[in-house]
Amino acid sequence: MASVKITDLHKTYGTTKVIEGLDLAVDDGRFVVLLGPSGCGKSTLLRMIAGLESITAGDVLFDDKRVNDVHAKDRNIAMVFQNYALYAHMSVRKNMAFSMRLKKTDKKIIDEKVKWASSILGLDDYLDRLPKELSGGQRQRVAMGRAIVRDPDVFLFDEPLSNLDAKLRVQMRTEIKDLHQRLKTTTIYVTHDQIEAMTMADEVVIMRDGVIEQSGSPMEIYDRPNNLFVAQFIGSPGMNIIECRVTGENGTLYGAAEGLQLPLPSGANVSVGQNIYYGVRPEHFRSSRQVAASAGGKAIAGAVRVVEPTGPEIHVYAKLAGQDICSISRERVIWDPGEEIFFDPDLDHVHLFDGVSKKAL
Amino acid sequence: MKSSRAWLPRWLTSEHPFPWLLPVTSLLIVFGLYPVLYSLWLSFFKRNPATRKEKFLPSWNWNKLIEDDRVWDAVQVTLTYASIALFLQLALGLAIALLLDSDRKGFGVMRALMTLPLVVPPAVTGMMFLLMYDSSFGVISNSLYALNLLSPSAPILGTGSTALWGVIVADTWQWTPFMVLIMLAGLRALPREPFEAASIDGATALQSFWHLTLPMMSKIIALAVLIRGIDLFRIYDYVKVMTDSGPGTATETLTAYAGTVYFKSANFPYASAVALATLIVVLVTASVFIKIFKVRF
Ligand SMILES: Nc1ncnc2c1ncn2[C@@H]1O[C@H](COP(=O)(O)OP(=O)(O)OP(=O)(O)O)[C@@H](O)[C@H]1O
Ligand SMILES: [Mg+2]
Repeated sequence: MASVKITDLHKTYGTTKVIEGLDLAVDDGRFVVLLGPSGCGKSTLLRMIAGLESITAGDVLFDDKRVNDVHAKDRNIAMVFQNYALYAHMSVRKNMAFSMRLKKTDKKIIDEKVKWASSILGLDDYLDRLPKELSGGQRQRVAMGRAIVRDPDVFLFDEPLSNLDAKLRVQMRTEIKDLHQRLKTTTIYVTHDQIEAMTMADEVVIMRDGVIEQSGSPMEIYDRPNNLFVAQFIGSPGMNIIECRVTGENGTLYGAAEGLQLPLPSGANVSVGQNIYYGVRPEHFRSSRQVAASAGGKAIAGAVRVVEPTGPEIHVYAKLAGQDICSISRERVIWDPGEEIFFDPDLDHVHLFDGVSKKAL
Repeated sequence: MKSSRAWLPRWLTSEHPFPWLLPVTSLLIVFGLYPVLYSLWLSFFKRNPATRKEKFLPSWNWNKLIEDDRVWDAVQVTLTYASIALFLQLALGLAIALLLDSDRKGFGVMRALMTLPLVVPPAVTGMMFLLMYDSSFGVISNSLYALNLLSPSAPILGTGSTALWGVIVADTWQWTPFMVLIMLAGLRALPREPFEAASIDGATALQSFWHLTLPMMSKIIALAVLIRGIDLFRIYDYVKVMTDSGPGTATETLTAYAGTVYFKSANFPYASAVALATLIVVLVTASVFIKIFKVRF
């Protein structure tokens, strides 16, 4: 096991800057999830940690030892590649056993480990097949198996569940989490899937364009996004964002936008005339047929567009001041499209961002 | 469009493969099939050298072939020659290809330069090595004298035990680049990902080569062995130019023997039988090889 530290890391391909001055510290035994839009440099970062990609500038340290010049084979990491990178001419069994065979591990131990991994991954019936005889999801599980039979210092996972069906994905998520809780191996996990990130991570790292926008525990990221990008990136359906300008009336401040007056939390760090983004998560945007008492007569009224019942909750999409707004409620209210709907933001959970810097206020 | 050609028979219109195959098929028939069949026909005659008359006696030449020690010697020389040369060219070809398989600066030029020996006509290569082996002024001979590996009393091509090696070296000089080309094409087409995975799995360069490169290249290696192997069985020019089958018959290959029978003894029917025997040996070896290694074209 090892801690991983990255300091001022840069990566350029020719003139394309992919990673620009990235710092990251992963303590020993932690489960860190890298989350970010496609092309933001997640795979590149992971490959640099693995030693597969040259480092333009900066350092990668394992247990505070600089490993920039240590060959990938000597870093003792296990990795699941985004493109699987299976050995096409080897059976599933041999794919999984390869690392152990190289180490001249005892045959019996190899067999046991392969059996253990294949039962976790549901690959028991495919052990003697070649990768080309498997479906995409099965191949991905083989890639996973190849990693988990190892006993590495660091696990690197690059979207290891992206090709599995919903049920299998949930199942594998649990297995990985369980594995981590038992082995406590430092893990860096890349995903597009927010649920995966939220459910598995000790720490979530949000990346954009080769830099880290915010890192913290899943709940921290969700409850206190540092900036507009993180606020919009995390959460599904996404946070409602309304652009408005701060106005004052009888000493009370409002966010004014197109005939709307949005109440601001008391003690908000804003001044009259400032342009802000007003953010409320759908579950904090209560909806009702009546104007809420707390609104002080300033009704936030819109028109229902679409209603999506998901089972446990109902997502109501509405037009508000020309913008699409979503509200989630657990009550069984039936809405008709076009019906008038009143919103009531939970002031304890309103996020304000500066109109220029887009940073949280 | 269609109606303008409608009067043509269907097999002559472009949708049918026959017209497109016609040119190459006719070439093959005229220059391949006909000579072979004619040789076969010829081999059924017994030639009387004194009267220069030929008599139809189908088994005569074939019996003679089986009883001819020189044929069996030649088979042995050919097999020795082909297998040693093939091994050397394959090993060197793969090794050089591995060295040249790089995107770094200058390697493209080196890959191109590698092919130069291939443009030299084999007979010229033979003559070039003949000069380099010359026991008084040849650069190779003199270098070996200096290293005490050779004595002037036993010239390379004039000594039974070394003459075949001398020819093999010339062949290898010329044809290793061909192997390099094939191997490079294969190596360059290998995917990068499995090698990355292997280094993550802790494989050394040698282990990657053994467990990944070789198995992934096996089809290409088999194909290269087949092409070069067939070619090596037909070895004629180097032997003809460099040793003329000598000393004695130390370097007499099957084709060289056939040539001798043809052009020196003018026993055309028997020479045909020897030449056909070469063809049969090649065909049998090649098909066994194709079966075993499942070569696909
Ligand atoms: N070999 C390369 N040459 C040039 N640019 C590259 C190369 N490899 C990656 N890039 C660029 O680097 C950026 C980051 O790529 P990377 O694969 O790390 O993205 P990612 O975050 O993993 O995306 P995804 O979620 O789609 O996998 C991309 O814009 C990509 O175009
Ligand atoms: Mg990626």
